[in-house]
Amino acid sequence: MGFEQILRKTWRDNVLFSVLVELTYRCNLDCFFCYNDLGLRGEPLTTAQYLAFFAELRDLQVLNLTLSGGEPLAHPDFLKLGARARELGFVVRIKSNGHALRGELARRVRDEVDPFLVEVSLHGATAATHDRQTRVPGSFDRLRANLREALGLGLRVKINSTVTCWNEGEIEGMLAFADELGVPLQLDPEVTPRDDGDREPLSIAPSREGLVRLFSLQAERARAGNGAVSVAREGDEGIVPVPTEKHCGAGSAGIAVDPYGNVYPCVQWRRPVGNLHRQPIREIWTGSAGLREVRELTVQAKAVVDAQGAAGPLLNFCPGSAATRTGDPLGLYPDAVRRAEVLGEVLEREKKRTLLPVVG
Amino acid sequence: MPALDLTGVLKPARDVRFRRIDDEAVVVRQRAGEVLVMNETAARLLELADGRASVADWVEALAGEYAVGREELERDVLRFAAELAAEGMLEPVPASGEREGEDRGV
Amino acid sequence: MTFGAAFLTHPDLFPARRAGAVWGDRTVTLALPGGPYRFAGLNPEQAAAVHGRFGAHCVAATAAAVETLVFRMAEEEFRTIDTRGWEYGLDLDPAPASLRLAGMRLAGRLDWRPDLAGSLWTPDAGGVSFAGIFENLFRVLTAYRLLELGGVLVHGAAVVSGGRSLLALGRSGAGKTTFSRQALARGLDVLSDDLNALRRSAAGTEVEKLPFTGDLGDAGSPGGRFPLAALLRLEKSPEDALVPLGRAEAMGLLLACSPFVNVDPYRREALLANLASLLPAAGDPPAWALRFSLSGGCWPILDRQCLLSISPAS
Repeated sequence: MGFEQILRKTWRDNVLFSVLVELTYRCNLDCFFCYNDLGLRGEPLTTAQYLAFFAELRDLQVLNLTLSGGEPLAHPDFLKLGARARELGFVVRIKSNGHALRGELARRVRDEVDPFLVEVSLHGATAATHDRQTRVPGSFDRLRANLREALGLGLRVKINSTVTCWNEGEIEGMLAFADELGVPLQLDPEVTPRDDGDREPLSIAPSREGLVRLFSLQAERARAGNGAVSVAREGDEGIVPVPTEKHCGAGSAGIAVDPYGNVYPCVQWRRPVGNLHRQPIREIWTGSAGLREVRELTVQAKAVVDAQGAAGPLLNFCPGSAATRTGDPLGLYPDAVRRAEVLGEVLEREKKRTLLPVVG
Repeated sequence: MPALDLTGVLKPARDVRFRRIDDEAVVVRQRAGEVLVMNETAARLLELADGRASVADWVEALAGEYAVGREELERDVLRFAAELAAEGMLEPVPASGEREGEDRGV
Repeated sequence: MTFGAAFLTHPDLFPARRAGAVWGDRTVTLALPGGPYRFAGLNPEQAAAVHGRFGAHCVAATAAAVETLVFRMAEEEFRTIDTRGWEYGLDLDPAPASLRLAGMRLAGRLDWRPDLAGSLWTPDAGGVSFAGIFENLFRVLTAYRLLELGGVLVHGAAVVSGGRSLLALGRSGAGKTTFSRQALARGLDVLSDDLNALRRSAAGTEVEKLPFTGDLGDAGSPGGRFPLAALLRLEKSPEDALVPLGRAEAMGLLLACSPFVNVDPYRREALLANLASLLPAAGDPPAWALRFSLSGGCWPILDRQCLLSISPAS
């Protein structure tokens, strides 16, 4: 069985395979569009609780463990938790802004955590644009220097960029930035509301023209053989499983956990389905009524998307994002519809140039 | 690596991560950025290679699971273990100092 | 040295936003010049420590002018400091719309988004040490709040008699506490021997009591605003005398004695504008260099020249 089939099995059989843990909402940057709900309150999970949780995940055969935040390195026990995750055999990914990833800390991350991948965020091809997003002057220059250092240390790095109306004119520049470093760049075409429903980040959603530029560039690079441009939602491993009855693996093969122990179907779908202070993860995974509903909803979401015909796959529809935006995880929100239209137009144009399909 | 025998102790290589999904193993080789799906036998051997048990211990554990003669089982296990080691999936644990705190697989 | 490096083990991880895990759900609101100031996210021990230090100023929950959240931070995030022979200081990092502070077991922020809000991160769960950390942030918060209200936090001793005040300024060791003790011995009230608020109203430049004191502690004086009869530059001297100071000298004196904000280049213009409005003209209020001796002989001079109300020393 190939890996895609394995993923299909995890979705179909509700095998928990990937977990994203938001260790803290503290951050050493202050990105304007950050989706964290900073007003959320609760009892933080202790280090001992995290260690026990990781052991339970190992027993459940979870393979992928992503340490996120906020800034995960800002958790005072990050290295201890990361090292334990490594010892327990997880494929550890770290989602960091990279701002503190230098010197001794970078070396310790490499030596003690040995992550499969460090994913950092790039918000523009220039200091002006990047720092505008992070609201920390000097963060762009620091990121570039730290990336060079991290790569020199042998850390594996990937860059994630969310396209906004601030940076949509710098996509080529961001690609060049990544190319120069020799690291992959994934461009996310969707700005999302904050997890508390605050829609302020949507004010910098990319324009129609920006999306046209993004998808056209993607097609151009594919045509020219310059290296594929990955355009996908951040968090997607870029692997699309063979067709299943569900739209995605949220709540079926993956979960996300916030700093207060709340468990969610995924990082985007902020419907709590349990809390680790009250129940161990195995109980939540097998017994949560919320998860049962979510699994059924992902089946329904697939039906909704399939009903759109050829436009369906172009929507890049996310039930979690739909739930936050509209209250309805099955509601096709305008940004998804617009994206599908734009991508459809670009693909039509490309069809006229070439017979090769462009993967969106 | 010196020839493997039944007294050898192996563990997953430092950059290998794996999990068992039913009767298969998903194996990630971090440095190569490679994901492999391996069969049940490989999955079982990766589970047994905990850095403490010897290959003889593996044979003992497997004897109840496979309807095969002892000698044949020993030969097969040694051969498979050697193949995994040659592929860089497993590495030997030095005889004198066992690493503490390693708990890599299941 | 990098900002925060003297106090924090990982200054690169200094919080850039108002976020983290709060200590608890308690709130304390303090009615003080520039306030009310609300502090939220405290645990019961921290709230009790704040009540213990500032109890006289605690009010029921009300709309706050400035809110500060108190977050957890781990012990190991702070360097251990050998306090023998160490003079307490804060590391400040001003920016156009924010201020970062680092100190012993303290990381803090003031942010203008657009209104002023404070954040405090500390590993201290309560008690006297927390009260000290709390006050260290609160002093800075008050300085910036008074600044945006047209006033200034002043490093000086304020004494009151007959409803009018004297503000005696000077660096550490200039004699503020000695001056304050002499005032008490003569029946004057001492607002604070260390930090006071200076603001302008229709009645003129006024001093207000703040609960930030030096060695003298709280001398039990009443709150309220007291018109400033004179600004004094303290100079220890064998003989007592008052020597007039010009307006420029007086402004320079206040500038030097406006802690925290006087090293902030982004607020320099605002500070100078405030000082100019607090000292709108020569003699308004009068400013003097006070040469004072341990004999207390300066008080009749001050009474004649400034207060006209001091009783003979008891």
